[in-house]
Amino acid sequence: MKPLTFTEEIVLLALDDQTGAQLPLPVTALSYGLAGAVLADLAVAAKIDTDEKKLVVLDATPTGDPLLDPWLALIAADKTVHPVAHWLSVLADRQREIEQPALERLIDRGILKRQDKKILWVIGLRRYPTVDGHERTEVRTRLGQLILGEDLPDPRDAILISLLRGCRLTDQIFEGPEFAAREQRLATLAKMDLVGREVASATTEAIVALSTAMNASVPHM
Amino acid sequence: MQISESEVNGVTVLGLSGRLDGLAAPELEKKLAEVVAAGKDRLVFDCSGVEYASSAGLRVFLLAAKQLKSCSGRCGFAALTPVLREVFSVSGFLDILEVHDTVAQAAA
Repeated sequence: MKPLTFTEEIVLLALDDQTGAQLPLPVTALSYGLAGAVLADLAVAAKIDTDEKKLVVLDATPTGDPLLDPWLALIAADKTVHPVAHWLSVLADRQREIEQPALERLIDRGILKRQDKKILWVIGLRRYPTVDGHERTEVRTRLGQLILGEDLPDPRDAILISLLRGCRLTDQIFEGPEFAAREQRLATLAKMDLVGREVASATTEAIVALSTAMNASVPHM
Repeated sequence: MQISESEVNGVTVLGLSGRLDGLAAPELEKKLAEVVAAGKDRLVFDCSGVEYASSAGLRVFLLAAKQLKSCSGRCGFAALTPVLREVFSVSGFLDILEVHDTVAQAAA
């Protein structure tokens, strides 16, 4: 089986093991995480490249992956060069269009199953529990060993850890005192990828903005 | 980007000159594969001529360090230009990779 893309991995890891419901994340965190995953997939496919100031298209020819090609076409069609943060914002606004095809592919691969329920016999609720949890366990074990150990990450794992931390999923996936004691190590690993760092910045800014707006809306006594 | 190969104290030194960007990264990755395939397990990148490094370039550096370590070898990065040192600092590479002031120190 072809390895999972970053987009598929983020979608998969953002779901609760048992229930298939989305894990509780700060507002917009997953949308930025998925946007970052698309950019990371395009980067490892050598379609785009990034630095602190800009994202450039290296090769606008399609990858052949329908999860990625609409977004490569969108980026390539813009003749203005923008920073990574701009494209994160644009793609984050298209979260459903990124997430839904990735969920469908995970179902096609036999990793997830679709489960429809009704709440109070009326309200429809769709969940995506794993079939056997193998892929999620594998990635969690591999990254967990990397965080708890001292090995160098390969570039792919560095990107994935950076994306997961950027959208706050590491808080959900790597729980327990042994991981809490490795916060500095996790922070070091998460710094290694620029897109992941930008996801972290965008997520933090969104949380601060929401918090400010909520405080402003509370009537003063 | 120009890539030169030499040997210092039995250590393979790849001298890099120019821009290490998404267009140059595949060439460096190919050179790295050749070095690893030749069974050379000590590698130093002479970075004194690196004018720019993008994310694609940094990924090749990390890949090199990982591959050499995986085969019980060593990979060092020497003579970083100020611009590359800044990129290494921001991305945490200074904390996790073997960085030296000179090629001689890295190859010692």
